[in-house]
Amino acid sequence: MSSNDTVARDTAAEEAPPLTQPAYLPGVAFDEMIDRDGAVRPHYEVLQDRIASLGAEELEERQSTLERSFLLQGITFTVYGAESATERIIPTDLFPRIIPAREWAKIEAGLSQRLRALNMFLADIYGDQKILMDGVLPRALVLGAPSYRREMHHLYVPHNTYANVCGSDLIRGEDGEFFVLEDNLRVPSGVSYMLANRDASRRTFPGTFRQAGVRPVERYPDLLLSTLKSMTSEWRADPQVVVLTPGVYNSAYYEHAYLARLMGVPLVEGRDLVVHDNRVFMRTTSGLRRVDVIYRRVDDDFIDPLTFRRDSALGVAGLFNAYRAGNVVICNAPGTGVADDKAVYAYVPDIIRYYLAEDAILPNVDTFLCREPAQLSHVLANLDKLVVKAVGASGGYGMLVGPHASQAEREAFAEQLRADPDNFIAQPTIQLSTAPCLVDGRIEPRHVDLRPFILSGEKVVVTPGALTRVALKRGSLVVNSSQGGGSKDTWVLAEEPRA
Amino acid sequence: MMLARVADSLYWIGRYIERAEHVSRLAAVMLNATLDRTLEAAQTGRIALAAVGEVDTDRGDQTYEAARDLALDREDSGSVVVCLARARENARQVRDQITSETWERLNMLYLRVVSHSPDEAFEEDPAGFLNEIIADLHLFKGAVDATLSHGEGWRFLALGVHLERAQLIARLLEACFSDRKTPTVTEPMALMSLLRMACALEPYLRVYTADIDPKYILEFLLFDEDFPRSIRFCTARIQDLLDQLARRTGGERSDALRLAGRLDARLKYADVEEVESTGAGALLAAVSAECAAIHEAIYETFVAYPLELSLPA
Repeated sequence: MSSNDTVARDTAAEEAPPLTQPAYLPGVAFDEMIDRDGAVRPHYEVLQDRIASLGAEELEERQSTLERSFLLQGITFTVYGAESATERIIPTDLFPRIIPAREWAKIEAGLSQRLRALNMFLADIYGDQKILMDGVLPRALVLGAPSYRREMHHLYVPHNTYANVCGSDLIRGEDGEFFVLEDNLRVPSGVSYMLANRDASRRTFPGTFRQAGVRPVERYPDLLLSTLKSMTSEWRADPQVVVLTPGVYNSAYYEHAYLARLMGVPLVEGRDLVVHDNRVFMRTTSGLRRVDVIYRRVDDDFIDPLTFRRDSALGVAGLFNAYRAGNVVICNAPGTGVADDKAVYAYVPDIIRYYLAEDAILPNVDTFLCREPAQLSHVLANLDKLVVKAVGASGGYGMLVGPHASQAEREAFAEQLRADPDNFIAQPTIQLSTAPCLVDGRIEPRHVDLRPFILSGEKVVVTPGALTRVALKRGSLVVNSSQGGGSKDTWVLAEEPRA
Repeated sequence: MMLARVADSLYWIGRYIERAEHVSRLAAVMLNATLDRTLEAAQTGRIALAAVGEVDTDRGDQTYEAARDLALDREDSGSVVVCLARARENARQVRDQITSETWERLNMLYLRVVSHSPDEAFEEDPAGFLNEIIADLHLFKGAVDATLSHGEGWRFLALGVHLERAQLIARLLEACFSDRKTPTVTEPMALMSLLRMACALEPYLRVYTADIDPKYILEFLLFDEDFPRSIRFCTARIQDLLDQLARRTGGERSDALRLAGRLDARLKYADVEEVESTGAGALLAAVSAECAAIHEAIYETFVAYPLELSLPA
């Protein structure tokens, strides 16, 4: 294999370069650092030079410094064992993933186009439903989706912005093209890891960071705050904003506290809020205080036991009525989940064309809807090549990765498919691109995806950075943190590297 | 303006931190004193155990085990490790309200005491283990004072510290001078240990010289105006903190402030001669009871107030 030789030649002058023992050997997937001919991509050169100049020991040392700092900051989740609860850090890799300016420009344009269209779609389906009248997508598919909220019908949402915070999952296929795999319009998480990873990588590779010319992500919290504030701009210039968390036992609690702290707004739990006379108040030491905007990190189902799930203790009784009365803004609006439904996803290019009269800048992954009999039989015939996903599930649950499954697993899944075809979609198995990661003291390729964060209030802002999720198991394509995934920093370069 | 739940958590961080420090010190002094195989040494062990409310004070003979339990027993709600875990749990719930400097200091201490086989560390060097916890807690308090705004949140935390401290010192003095189960402490060695348990030996010596007398000790720990661990000092701080909190939250007529003012006055204008002649028992019992009442009143005023009274018209 030629890449071995090329890398060895590049770094032969260095003393004990870790890249050569053994060499960094990407597989058939697109590699972020090394091109098909085994040469280092220009935008990765600064980092590659630095890695090559550091010994394996030094790299391990930096990795463990990084992990210690995460532990100290409390960037952890709790594992409850038999004897006691232990805290683990979210696995984090020290090498940043680098995206050149030109590629980012396309991603940015594509994501903001997509979110604009999806917000228009939400305003339409909770309003006049023109898109359904025009038959662009089947009425039953939208109105029958479990995440569709009839309660939202004809309800005034400022700027027609239903999804204020969106985290889309992008992947790079074998040809290096970026695809949108999924939109997250409910309560997307991970942005605090983007910021914590950045903070860490600035300390791990300070010189390289400077040299590379990386665009800053640190303004995310204040951009989020102004996005939230813009939601009341028509009637209140300086609203009281709060972050609503399910509480300290939620796995994303660190993020909720982090965002509240950096925005300088109270972090509230359901029990801190009361609704009186269709207005929302929080219990403070000096009595009740009015709340205007709630950035909720609680799922639709749990925000108000009077309107949604009655057994929820996380929400606030009467909150939805206060929202309907226009006395408080909930961000993201309830019911946004229908726009990231996995079956609706297949129609997003049509949705973009319908509202914006433009072609989608970022393509979708080919998607087979099992609700269509013809497509179902195709899926059943090709189960060993496809990834099948349950429409309602997320987080890597309820999913079959055909090529990695056993015959028995595939047969069992086929049964489920035939029993409830509406609930499933299928996509070709895509070899996600790989990026170099430090694994047990060696630099190895691991599959990665990309989750950028898009804010939308009066206007749409894409933060120039992202969370890169890593499938830490060799060969695994599943990057979800609930399934053993980790993360790394993402450097978006301000300029193209000089050729 | 701050969330009632947040104020409550900050207050409890203060209480647990102070308790962890006090119990660490009791255990350290107990271990140190009992290096001497004397009767006074055994008495020191009994004082320490009585001061934390241990019924079986005869364990004073097995000081190593007793000290280890005070520090590390996860079943005992008053042990150092439990106090630190709870302080840290409260801090996690108000992570958005405290500075990173404060949080990291406490988190590091917690991780050290909980995660890295604390039993071995204790066995290796018990006194060192305990003294390091005390030193880390001082760093935490320093970070609180140096990096948090001295506003409402800081005041609730300080309120917890001083209320807890007043009760702990009162309990320690009761154990020495007015407890029926333990004989009144008179031995100079034991009295010195008592001063060490209140972290008061050096400041005491500067005021009274090396004249170790129960009368002066009581006077110092009850009435001294400047020593941060005297009850008088604590009640003055409590009154001051509540006064400022009440002003800012519009709770001037709260029971908490009234009770704190009364307790402060009781100590400020106490007849020292009378306390010395009749014994401090009654006064110490009153201090404990009133601190408990202030605690209840704080909760009623700032945290669990009835909603009907505070709804807008």
